[in-house]
Amino acid sequence: MAGEAGFEHRWRHVRLLFLAFLGLWLLFTLFPLYFMAITALKTTAETNLTVPTFWPEVFAFGNFAAVFAEATNFDALVDSFVIASLNTVLSLVLGTLAGYAFARFPRQAGGENLAFWILSNRMFPPVAILVPMFFLFDSTPWGTDSIWSLVILYLVFNLPLATWLMMVFFRDAPPELEEAAYLDGWTPFRAFFRITLPLVLPGMISVAMLCWIFAWNEYLFANLFVGTDVRTYTIVIPTFTHGSQTLWNLQMAFSLIAMIPPVTLFILLRRYMVRGLSLGVVKG
Amino acid sequence: MARLVVEGLCKGWDFPVIDDLSITVEEGEFLVIVGPSGIGKTTLLRLVAGLESPDRGRILVGDRDVTRVPPYRRNVAMTFESYALYPHLTVARNIASPLQARGLPAAEIRRRVEEVARLLRIDTLLERKPGEISGGQKQRTALGRTLVADPQVFLLDEPISHLDARIRHELRSQFHTLEDLRRVATVYVTHDYAEALSLGDRIAVMGNGGRLAQIGSARELFEQPATLFVAEHLGQPTINALEAELVDVDGRLEAHVGSLRLPVASSRRDALARVGERRATRRVTIGLRPQHLRPADELPQGATLEGRVDIFEALGSTGVMIVDVGGVALTALTRPERTFDPGEMVTLAWDPAALHFFDPSDGRNLLL
Amino acid sequence: MSNVILSKVNKIYGAGRTGVHAVRDLDLTVNDGEFMALLGPSGCGKTSTLRMIVGLEAITSGDIHFGGVRVNDLEPRERNVAMAFETYALYPNFTVEENLAFPLEVRGVPADERRRRARELAELLRITEILTARPPVLSGGQQQRVSLGRALIREPAVFILDEVMSHLDAHLKFQMLFDLKRLHQELRRTMIYVTHDQVEALALADRVAVMSNAALQQVGDRNALYNRPTNMFVADFIGEPPTTFIAVERCDRAGAIELRAIGADIVFDVAAERASALDAHGGRRFTVGIRPQNLYPCDHDPRMAGKVVINEYLGERSILSIVTGDVTLRALVPPETRLAPGDHAGFSLDPRDVMIFDTESGVLVA
Repeated sequence: MAGEAGFEHRWRHVRLLFLAFLGLWLLFTLFPLYFMAITALKTTAETNLTVPTFWPEVFAFGNFAAVFAEATNFDALVDSFVIASLNTVLSLVLGTLAGYAFARFPRQAGGENLAFWILSNRMFPPVAILVPMFFLFDSTPWGTDSIWSLVILYLVFNLPLATWLMMVFFRDAPPELEEAAYLDGWTPFRAFFRITLPLVLPGMISVAMLCWIFAWNEYLFANLFVGTDVRTYTIVIPTFTHGSQTLWNLQMAFSLIAMIPPVTLFILLRRYMVRGLSLGVVKG
Repeated sequence: MARLVVEGLCKGWDFPVIDDLSITVEEGEFLVIVGPSGIGKTTLLRLVAGLESPDRGRILVGDRDVTRVPPYRRNVAMTFESYALYPHLTVARNIASPLQARGLPAAEIRRRVEEVARLLRIDTLLERKPGEISGGQKQRTALGRTLVADPQVFLLDEPISHLDARIRHELRSQFHTLEDLRRVATVYVTHDYAEALSLGDRIAVMGNGGRLAQIGSARELFEQPATLFVAEHLGQPTINALEAELVDVDGRLEAHVGSLRLPVASSRRDALARVGERRATRRVTIGLRPQHLRPADELPQGATLEGRVDIFEALGSTGVMIVDVGGVALTALTRPERTFDPGEMVTLAWDPAALHFFDPSDGRNLLL
Repeated sequence: MSNVILSKVNKIYGAGRTGVHAVRDLDLTVNDGEFMALLGPSGCGKTSTLRMIVGLEAITSGDIHFGGVRVNDLEPRERNVAMAFETYALYPNFTVEENLAFPLEVRGVPADERRRRARELAELLRITEILTARPPVLSGGQQQRVSLGRALIREPAVFILDEVMSHLDAHLKFQMLFDLKRLHQELRRTMIYVTHDQVEALALADRVAVMSNAALQQVGDRNALYNRPTNMFVADFIGEPPTTFIAVERCDRAGAIELRAIGADIVFDVAAERASALDAHGGRRFTVGIRPQNLYPCDHDPRMAGKVVINEYLGERSILSIVTGDVTLRALVPPETRLAPGDHAGFSLDPRDVMIFDTESGVLVA
């Protein structure tokens, strides 16, 4: 009885301090979201007050409908969705196959250069290659201002990441399981799909989320590459203006709507993103 | 007819893991390969399974040369030291895997999986995942997966070394009685000599450099070890090995170790004399197993030695003591219920017929 | 005086109905200078007990005294215990000598004193020749010795070894058993050795405390655990190869008591002095336990006979499995025994070696 108190008492203060810090941090990170949400519900007049209000005087739910007064705004969400999804599928398929090769046959696949390939993407600001890229794409069959132009462009950023992460996941999957499958009579191709792929599935889903969110949120290249036939939602956000004045409430309402797909996806896939399926494979 | 033939197998050039190894395992034979860890035992299994390819040599299953055949077409089954169960599949589907690979009908698969599971007493666990069962149960599942495949050759890699003593006993008995295992050629790898002696129809001792030190029945290996390495590797406590000189004393042969004078049994004398003619030196390494050196009252007809107990430990079924005999430390066995105090004087008896003689330069048994 | 006394020690993880009772009412005295082994299967509570002794875990209720001082509220470093771990946890960039001396350096012991004590200990552990080597080049056995030395160097009152041999292979383990035994004989320190391996426990310890299901089952030396196990758990857990258990029924004839095996033709005589224990206990059905080393092959008028199914030749000995009726017996016999599967074999046994248990509770009756 006494022992319990004596030992655990010492940790109580530390824990309280930690909780207090956590609370503060939460407040700090959640405030922008809160302000975004209330702005979306304000009238235009209220958004322009010099002293900002922290609770809408009138709830202008009409903002959410007004966003779609321009019919192409909805199409932009659809385009973004299509681009992000196609790019994710491609990144995942190519990244999984390449990652497997790097994990299992590092020498034949030239694995030492993989790290450089990925890092080289971060060695300069993307804006540096913006214009060259535009001209490069302009001379390709898919050109610019098309869905495929962005799908392929985003591979430049997503594919190295997907390959790297998948390689790490494949390395964690014991090669012995594949060997056991060969001895069961499965060919390497079938063993890969039957045994190895299910093991890295949680990892694949995490990779898919990362790729999808990058492609969904990308603005810089989209702004230059597309805009007429195809528009992503990110380049629509700055267009909510009335003369020289920004319609903050509509912009925030549209942004809130644009948050729905990634948040929904995350909630749906959250439980698959938990690692640790391969626990208990070996011994234990 | 499916015997396994390995001919002149080599793997690894600069540091040979397997060096010019030839073994034949007959159909229905249970061959155990034993040796210290890291000596190429597992590599040999992987070569036979086709998971690695040899630098030289041939592997035949029956009359078929499978040296270049990929593993999934060899009809060889193997259990892994780590069990290698598929974590995302149930026990039933793990066992069913080889049958599914062959595309058997579902009802047939179900029937055969249940049959094997009953045999191995895991039939109540069929719907569990590998993460939810104990080590012994995992081992049985892995074994079930190989048994169900009905292969021509079984390869078992340290199947029970990670389990508790209790379960090891039980599974060892099971290996003795599983008819499926006893019907085809089986190669079983272990580092535990007791397991090897217990299970093997024949036992191959692998030594350094990926070579076979000796192959034979349990009794041959234990009672007539070909080299000091084999004698030291089999048996616990380790055989007493002493540098000695052979001396003729009044027509009798004695082995002198320091101040110790050990008589050599007359049956060994002639054989040693023949060997002696070819050898320039009379130096030998003598080996005496601790079980043949006991307190005098436990071995009434043996030759005796006087010594002082240095340390005594009662293990489960034997007592072990290290005795200082004229400056030489010897390990002796006693019955377990006795106790000896350090410093106590003790009279030991030993059996001269159980003495082994090895060549000190290369460790060969001089009498074989 | 540095004995260790645990009185009514309990450990409960969590609270309420979800709480796990890891150690239940543990009373245990480790005498000054004694080598005590704490033995049990995984999950029996031995590790929780050890952690409470060391001070890494709070005690839910009960008291722990070291040499008369209550240590419940003392921090681990205030308790003067040292512990050697299953993993060696050596500093790879230090030499062996620096590794050994490190605990002294932390305590500000002067350099020559550190050096002297490190050398002294190295001699005791027979690692003098590797004092300048670094851990990565050492063998498993050498690393384990260095790690023992590091725990010993600050001369703790109580020395605890946690599964220190489970990573060593069989031959090294054997060597290590002798080294530890010798170490204890020379130091005469209070030592507590935690293990799941009965061979290690029986070989090393003066007394063995057997735990199971969070509770202490029995404390005793080898002979007590072998010949007078308090219950079927101890009889089953201690001993290798395992004890054979046979369900029996009591038959009284002409004043003598016999126990007849159910499902096999085996009759056990009960000596008069044990008959009274059976009478006092009452009931007709019991479970008999026979240790394989207590069965002796005998050709005429055997106590029990059956068909050999397995003859496991193990070099120093052989284990026979014999089937008679529904019972499978195991017998430990000399390696010269040449019985093959299918042969008929008879055995005798000393009636005093028969252990009789209550079938329900598992408690030893006689």
